[in-house]
Amino acid sequence: MSVVGQCLAAFIFGSVVGLLVQRSRFCNTAALRDAILFKTYRNTKALLVAMMILTVGFTLFITVGQGHPMHFDVGLNTFAGLFIFGIGMVLAGACTVSTWVKTGEGNFGAFWALLFTFIGMFLFSLVWSANYWPPAPTSMSGQPNLEALQFGFANAATLQAKLGIPAIVFGVIQAGVLFVIYRAILRKEAMRAGRVSEATDSPALGAQAEAAE
Amino acid sequence: MEFFKKTLDPVIALIAIAVLDVFLFMVVGAWTVGGGETMMTGLIAKAFMGDALNRLPFWQLVFVPTFGYWKIYISLGMLFGAFVGALLSKEFYLRFPRRLSEWVMTTIGGLLMGVGIRLAFVCNVSTFFGLTPEMNLGGYLAVSGILAGAWIGSLIYKKVLGV
Repeated sequence: MSVVGQCLAAFIFGSVVGLLVQRSRFCNTAALRDAILFKTYRNTKALLVAMMILTVGFTLFITVGQGHPMHFDVGLNTFAGLFIFGIGMVLAGACTVSTWVKTGEGNFGAFWALLFTFIGMFLFSLVWSANYWPPAPTSMSGQPNLEALQFGFANAATLQAKLGIPAIVFGVIQAGVLFVIYRAILRKEAMRAGRVSEATDSPALGAQAEAAE
Repeated sequence: MEFFKKTLDPVIALIAIAVLDVFLFMVVGAWTVGGGETMMTGLIAKAFMGDALNRLPFWQLVFVPTFGYWKIYISLGMLFGAFVGALLSKEFYLRFPRRLSEWVMTTIGGLLMGVGIRLAFVCNVSTFFGLTPEMNLGGYLAVSGILAGAWIGSLIYKKVLGV
């Protein structure tokens, strides 16, 4: 596909995503933060459903050698980087998606967070230029490189090649695990709803339950 | 139109996004934001610094600033789509953080997100909508990292805002 075609496809995809996220107020940060802090799962459930569909979709196409999986070495920096990111997104109250979406709604705080994401990236480029870690994509071998704290590259395609089992099999297993988490959340919600409705049967307790909500 | 009056169920929105993401995966690659943002950082830095940017090896070896990088246009698309959605549903208006604590948290949070993305080579979108569904080892490392980080972040958030 030509460069212009790629950019156009990306723009159309982004526009629809921006519209859907704006209309649904989906937020990746809220999906994690609300589950941890408030035990509410509105966004968490949506995230899990999307991941189930994606896991089956991606591994299905990977099985037949189609699609464009990401290809680079991962290592301790992957864990550490997302750890730092996780703290940042909760503090900023926005992730990479919602900063763009909320900026589009006229939220200056989101634009501010975006600006400082850029500044953070530039600061990191200064540090990288001094110590060259984590390794640049051109020097990645796909093999573990313990000196650089790199574990190499592995995904559904390498599993299929190594074990001779179609990638979709692993995909279905992973989707199953995600489904178990999803169902546990539904049960938890049902239990809580049950408790509240039980309490509302008696007027005095009902008022208490409402106050507690 | 009803679509612009009521809030959409996020599960429906995310099912639609997931299906589109599988299409994008077939055409160029899965949904991602961090890479495009890095390229934009490089382009902005180049506009300010000119050739002085060439003295930083990062912008020669990892990201060479170019406008022809498809990931940039996902972000611009999201901005455009959200703007249209907000305009049509009459939800567009300028709003600013009120308290000093919000400004400080947004600033620190933004910086941490930028540094974290570059350290990991991955953002939260690639983590949940790309790497993990591709069953990439990095996806599991990233999910563990972001959960631990969000937990620590929530503790700080609780302290600062007193919720």
